[in-house]
Amino acid sequence: MSMLVRLYRRGYGRTLVGIIIIAAYVFPVYWMVATSLKSSKGIFAVPPHLVPDPPTFVAYSSAVIHNPAIHKALINSVIISVGTMALTLILALPAAYALARLRLRLAGLVLLLLLISQMLPPINLAVPLFVLFQYIGLVNTYPGLILADTVFVLPFAIIILRPFLLSIPGDLEDAAMVDGCSRLGAFSRIVLPLVVPGLIAVGALAFVLVWGEFILGLTLMTSNKMYPITVALNRFIGQYGTQWNNLMAVSTTVALPILLTFVVLQRYIVSGLAAGATKE
Amino acid sequence: MTQNQKLMTRIRAKGKLDRIKLRKARNYLFVAPAVIFIVLFMIYPLLYNFYISVRDVNVGTLMSGNAPFVGLRNYKTMIGDPTFWHSLLISFIFTGGSLLFQFTIGFALALFFQRPFPGGGIMRAFLLLGWLMPIVVSASIWKWLLDGDYGVINYLLQGLGLLRGDHYWLSEPNTALAGVIVANIWLGIPFNALLLLTGLQGISLSLYEAARVDGANAWQRFLYITLPQMRSVSLTVLLLGFIYTFKVFDLIFVMTGGGPANATTTLPILTYNLTFEFYEFGTGAAAASLLLMISLALSVVYLLLVRREEAA
Repeated sequence: MSMLVRLYRRGYGRTLVGIIIIAAYVFPVYWMVATSLKSSKGIFAVPPHLVPDPPTFVAYSSAVIHNPAIHKALINSVIISVGTMALTLILALPAAYALARLRLRLAGLVLLLLLISQMLPPINLAVPLFVLFQYIGLVNTYPGLILADTVFVLPFAIIILRPFLLSIPGDLEDAAMVDGCSRLGAFSRIVLPLVVPGLIAVGALAFVLVWGEFILGLTLMTSNKMYPITVALNRFIGQYGTQWNNLMAVSTTVALPILLTFVVLQRYIVSGLAAGATKE
Repeated sequence: MTQNQKLMTRIRAKGKLDRIKLRKARNYLFVAPAVIFIVLFMIYPLLYNFYISVRDVNVGTLMSGNAPFVGLRNYKTMIGDPTFWHSLLISFIFTGGSLLFQFTIGFALALFFQRPFPGGGIMRAFLLLGWLMPIVVSASIWKWLLDGDYGVINYLLQGLGLLRGDHYWLSEPNTALAGVIVANIWLGIPFNALLLLTGLQGISLSLYEAARVDGANAWQRFLYITLPQMRSVSLTVLLLGFIYTFKVFDLIFVMTGGGPANATTTLPILTYNLTFEFYEFGTGAAAASLLLMISLALSVVYLLLVRREEAA
């Protein structure tokens, strides 16, 4: 307590209040991790233990490590996330490049389309896609869900990438070509290296979005072997009932890749968000 | 300049012109894949949804593909159904309730972070946590926090003397909606706080200086400078928040599934239930179309607003 008072006197008052606010805000996430480290008796302690005493990995052992359904769902989510990221980048990079470089007469219209599509309720796409995919055999397949997820990530990716490309002067490419670079050479030697931070930002955000995506996975995947991890987690909520430590162990496992991405790529994610927010 | 050099310049100029033409064609080629993809997998399905909504599509006619044309019957069914109006009401309460608190708390946080202080940057990053977490994960956390038997929220409220005995927030029709709204407020605070903070940082400091010289106190500066200066940013954030909150599905679906007794059935949940629980593809598509029209109308309002702000 005396340390807090000292901090306050040194002019860290705002920092102190900030810590309290952030602690309150982050508490639900802390509680998830804390609960996941408790035993099945520990979760029912009254009053609740703020810190697991003693911490145990028993929930992870039974609900995650020895749970083949979770392994399969994690693999599914990795496949779907990587597939969507790749497809998104392949489509978004040339499109953002063109939209940034030339005054396409259609550029305004395309950007408008992209902005509106970000506001679309996903259920509006889930219903017709389910019916259409049923006809062409894409229901309950990886390509089906990858295509559907890309619909939601692509507009976002183009909008975020465009400002990165706008900031690269076109003269730079022209200069490279005067010096004997081919068009493609100029692109890969000049533009590509400069746009890497943008690609990382888009890749990271695409991963965050797709890893957490729920409704398309819920509707387009019809067998539990194909469920992405979010849909599998929802199944567990019903299945585990009051085994909150097991449920929180699975939840923590689902959240972990997102948290790691954020810690490692925070700089890129924030710059990407900023670029997306300031947009046109 | 020698004759030779002149010639070279002319060749270069012509080359440049050709390059510009070529670049134009190439640029269309570059946007084409993305545009075709969006037309194929977004525009076409959305139009197809309208097609389903005027046909009697159910389990039997889904696979055969020859569902009879029924005109606006599905829409009439929807509009004549009290559950549709109920879900619309729930949608508006959910959206309004969430926005009111997200915005107020977000504004307060933005004001708090407006002036830099040691550790402020890291704290702002922590705020993003609620935004980045998979919604299904947040939903399961809040289900646990709001649990009737061992939930921390009941424990806190009991400790503060605000609650006697156990309360089952999410299984009581009277409080389920409030429980879902509280979780959604938590999710939405970062979005509001960070966008509003960007707005606050755009206010010219000289305005505050001038007011201080004129003897305005902190409250007056807030009232006569901050609030009016934040008017357009606030409007944008609220409208965007409305569009994003109105379409929320995952959170409600995971926490309550729309229950108990339809107490949390919003329009997106109703659309899902009709289509994937009752296999009423026709009426489901009609509900989806109505949801889409509301969302599109709001998006257009938002885009017009942004354009007007930029012109001003």
